[in-house]
Amino acid sequence: MYKKILSAVNEHLNSVIAARYALNISRACGAKLYLCFVAEKGMSAPDIGKAEDAMQRLFSEAREMDVQVQSISTTGQPAKEIKEIVKKEGIDLVFVSARRADVERRFYRATTAREILLKLPCSVALTRVVNMGRTHPGKILIPLKARIDHVHERAYFTAKMAEGFNARVFVFHAPKPVTSFFHGEIELTQMEWEKRMPGDITDFMDHITKYGIDIEGRLLPGRVARTITIEAAAKRHGLIIMGATGRNLLSSLLRGNPVERVLRETTCDLIILKPVHKDDK
Amino acid sequence: MINNLAREEVFRFLVTSEQGLAEDEAGKRLIESGPNEITGVKKISWLKRFAGQFTHFFAILLWTAAGLAFISEYLHPGEGMFTLGGAILGVIFINGIFTFIQEYRAEKSIEKLMLLLPFFVKVIRNGKEDEVPVRDIVPGDVILLSEGDRVPADSRLVDSNYLMVNNSSLTGESEPVPLSSKPCKGELIESGNIAFAGTTVLSGSGKAVVFATGMGTEVGSIAHLTSGVEAGSSPLQKEIVKVTRIIAFLATVMGIVFFLIGHAVGKSFWENFIFAIGIIVANVPEGMLPTVTLALAMGSQRMARKKALIKTMTSVETLGSVTHICTDKTGTLTQNRMEVKKVWTMKKKESEVDGEGGVLPPLQNNDVTMLMKVAYLCNNTKIVEGKSKGEPTEVALFNAAAPLFKDPGPERVFEIPFDSDRKRMTTVNRVNGSVLVFTKGALESVLPLCASIFADVKEIPLDGPMREEVTAACNSMMDQGLRVLSFAYKEIEDTGRGVSQYAPTDSNLESDLVFAGLIGIEDPPRPEVSGAIIKCHEAGIKIIMITGDGNRTALAIAREIGLVHDGALVIEGHEFSKMGDRELKEKLLQKEVIFARMTPKHKMRVVTVLKEEGARVAVTGDGVNDAPALKKADIGIAMGITGTDVAKEAADMILLDDNFATIVSAIEEGRGVYENIRKFVSYIFASNIPEIIPYLAYVLFRIPLPLTIMQILAVDLGTDMLPALALGAERPSKELMKQPPRDPKERLLTAKLLGRAYLFLGPVEAAAGLFGFFYVLMSGGWEWGNMPALNDPLYMQATTACLTAIIITQVANVFACRTFRESVFTIGIFSNKLIFPGIALEILLQLFIVYHPWGNRIFSTSPISAGIWLLLIPFAIFLFAAEEGRKLITRSIAKKGQ
Repeated sequence: MYKKILSAVNEHLNSVIAARYALNISRACGAKLYLCFVAEKGMSAPDIGKAEDAMQRLFSEAREMDVQVQSISTTGQPAKEIKEIVKKEGIDLVFVSARRADVERRFYRATTAREILLKLPCSVALTRVVNMGRTHPGKILIPLKARIDHVHERAYFTAKMAEGFNARVFVFHAPKPVTSFFHGEIELTQMEWEKRMPGDITDFMDHITKYGIDIEGRLLPGRVARTITIEAAAKRHGLIIMGATGRNLLSSLLRGNPVERVLRETTCDLIILKPVHKDDK
Repeated sequence: MINNLAREEVFRFLVTSEQGLAEDEAGKRLIESGPNEITGVKKISWLKRFAGQFTHFFAILLWTAAGLAFISEYLHPGEGMFTLGGAILGVIFINGIFTFIQEYRAEKSIEKLMLLLPFFVKVIRNGKEDEVPVRDIVPGDVILLSEGDRVPADSRLVDSNYLMVNNSSLTGESEPVPLSSKPCKGELIESGNIAFAGTTVLSGSGKAVVFATGMGTEVGSIAHLTSGVEAGSSPLQKEIVKVTRIIAFLATVMGIVFFLIGHAVGKSFWENFIFAIGIIVANVPEGMLPTVTLALAMGSQRMARKKALIKTMTSVETLGSVTHICTDKTGTLTQNRMEVKKVWTMKKKESEVDGEGGVLPPLQNNDVTMLMKVAYLCNNTKIVEGKSKGEPTEVALFNAAAPLFKDPGPERVFEIPFDSDRKRMTTVNRVNGSVLVFTKGALESVLPLCASIFADVKEIPLDGPMREEVTAACNSMMDQGLRVLSFAYKEIEDTGRGVSQYAPTDSNLESDLVFAGLIGIEDPPRPEVSGAIIKCHEAGIKIIMITGDGNRTALAIAREIGLVHDGALVIEGHEFSKMGDRELKEKLLQKEVIFARMTPKHKMRVVTVLKEEGARVAVTGDGVNDAPALKKADIGIAMGITGTDVAKEAADMILLDDNFATIVSAIEEGRGVYENIRKFVSYIFASNIPEIIPYLAYVLFRIPLPLTIMQILAVDLGTDMLPALALGAERPSKELMKQPPRDPKERLLTAKLLGRAYLFLGPVEAAAGLFGFFYVLMSGGWEWGNMPALNDPLYMQATTACLTAIIITQVANVFACRTFRESVFTIGIFSNKLIFPGIALEILLQLFIVYHPWGNRIFSTSPISAGIWLLLIPFAIFLFAAEEGRKLITRSIAKKGQ
């Protein structure tokens, strides 16, 4: 599915860590890795130097890991340039690191991250780096909503990421609590919850199992974003992979945006995946 | 992981160098990573939570009623609707404020976690040493650590000069942990080259590279869990929501139905409207919530007298519904007063220590003297103001051995501190010109290092059968509940290279040792614990011991205190870590389960799994990393003596004496509180019937309204409150701790309770009320069909008589509701000291309503003669006698059933 993977590198340490995720999945997929640095107009010479150093380091690391790698350095507006490269090279997946500005702005509006997420014609993995010490996640948390699209690509991405790090995968669903008017919230045991596992999630788990990855599923009712970050912190997950939000601005304003909240509150690294590959029939 | 990397790779990985970051780079990284501070998660503001108390379903219903009353006053002035509207608003505010008081709890755990970080940190930037505020630390910063420093952020050691840290703020284990700069395999949290934010440097110095700051650190993760974990509503809160919704629904339906009936029988819209509002007000037990809150407050005061300090009021009742207690062993089940009980040497075998308090008498036996010498010198206990201070196990060894060795001890030249992974410590001492190595630790850690054994003042080779004998002796002592330590020594050559010759990497230091013997230390169980455990078993509460001790010691102690019998399942920490949730759930279903060799971080998982299976869990804890489990549990119990501030802030209850038996007393009190709530709910609900029936009679039989809405509120929010509170102070009955925990599905309002209140007690009160009303009306010459004016003195006297009848029968009802099955005479008429003052105040309030002009004006009453009071008293006597008769029948049926 992923033959060509691109990772955007810049002068920030976050982008280097994000690129290492790209490196590992490239190795697991047997894909070619493109390291791409776009120098923006007005960028200082020391910053350009740092970014170029980072490119060199990552290039060497990729070679050490036997990953086929190519460096691309150019100038211009990052989102636009990356889009051009994606089209020209036929890139399947782009890794880009979330910056603090992306995290702090509501709905990361008017940020490069948002532009890349929305405009690239390929799949995008927006990476938020929180802990630079946990470079190899041993446990990966996959929060899923009841209805998901691109099941096959999500499963492939997750499986390859797990393979890259030799990690275990934990699928997690935070449904709304069961309530009735007179009884308020009705408490269900974990067994009772597990019987309510949505079909799409079961389908997703079946796909992951096909790749030979160790997987566990779990449901815990509660407020979605908070339940996800609590689960990740309590079970010491090293990485969360979740889908990009499907909610528009108005819907996010009215119903909240769990992805944005997880992005802000997570205590471990997070990858927000925007898949584009249609499911095989 | 960063702990796996070699020194140079660490710099390369975090894009930094020996010279540290440049200032401008540090500034840029600060913009990207954010300040290094513990913030917790964003919570719903207290203002929003306060507003929530006035916008839920029931409140909206009351707002609507108040609004309609004000509209009614505007359109039909002079019918008292303005006062009614005001009264309903009063009800909304009283209920809202009381609920908010119950739910609101100041969150201070995060503040305490923030205090773990220092204010300033020594860093290397641009190749120079500098001191910067802790919030400016960024990933890639090279920090300098020395004795007494608190670590500012999670960092990887790149240089270590005998650096020792105290990780107790994270792990709960207070023994010093040596840190080196060498790569380590395995989990980051267990790594020997990582200094974690919030921990303290005990000795030595080092240089480290920061890799995580703020909420990305381990302590940040604890803060996230502590502030983000929601224990959910307490069982009582859930019950109250259910009760109010059911009542509100019933009241509304009744209001609408009788509005329509009134319309059908030809009453005017406004008459029907007043009636509908009246029926809603009469149905809603307005005084219930304030009474519940006050009863919980009284319960928490009683618990405080028993040394259980309650922080969240609703926890009082939650305690009563607990099904599982996950408890620590040391200090909670035991006294944390370690004493040397037994020694074992190859020659003398196992022998008791006869001295008082584990102190050895002067010894003639040289083998034991050698053993005690190792225990004395391989020991960090200090004498401060004449008292031994240190880790309790070491203090016990020191106290036992010190009398044998009068001098302060030979010079200590080197130490490898105790490490929970290595499970041993080693010291090097200069004794009479010789250099000796002394090692103590767990048998499995020390015995493999020994090549010979000290027996009869000789060092003889340690062969296979001897090793087996030592292991058997150790097992035998552990089976007696003793914590067993093994001791070894050897003499080494002094090469004259100073301390460097004893570097911890020198494996020769801890090899070819001479095994000296074993010492068994006892931590005696608290004497009251066995009784408390029996009580728990009778009460159907499962106790799960979670301890850091080995499985044999844990099992022996558990047997001694009666916690387990044969066939108990013991799960060790390493097995626990490998277990999936499903397997753990199955294991937890076993009747008797003990967790041994566990660390505090495992607790949260045990609590989570139990809660997911529908258990109501109480958990004890004292360390910082116990805080998430304390928050997650239904009842988090922090230790008052040994607990950290963070644990105390995260807990719902603090044990002032750290004693397990106090938990059981608190549970008993909690069960009592729930029973008492049911008692006063019966009492309050019984008075709803004499409030509703007059309204029904008013519509159905076209009689004057026997009780006004304000008079209903006088009962619900006035006269009923103090006797109800007195019922909240009833002592727990003896049977309470012989019943299993309350089924979570059991409702506060059961059919039995409602039947008793609505079909038995209530109708008697209604009959009294209507009798009083018609007696006064008819005595004054009223004839059926006449509708007197609202300000007619006769009518006002009649409603006053109705109200008085309700009050008089409610006095009898207080006594009736003191028990469900027992006769009141059995528990003692005077056994609850608050009942009589409560009744006295109830009557005083009624006298004010009936005879004071202000009372008359507010409640539209008029004074009545003493004769009417006397006429109503037989109804009260009948109610009490009938209830005693019912209880007698219930008891005899139950007896026959047995």
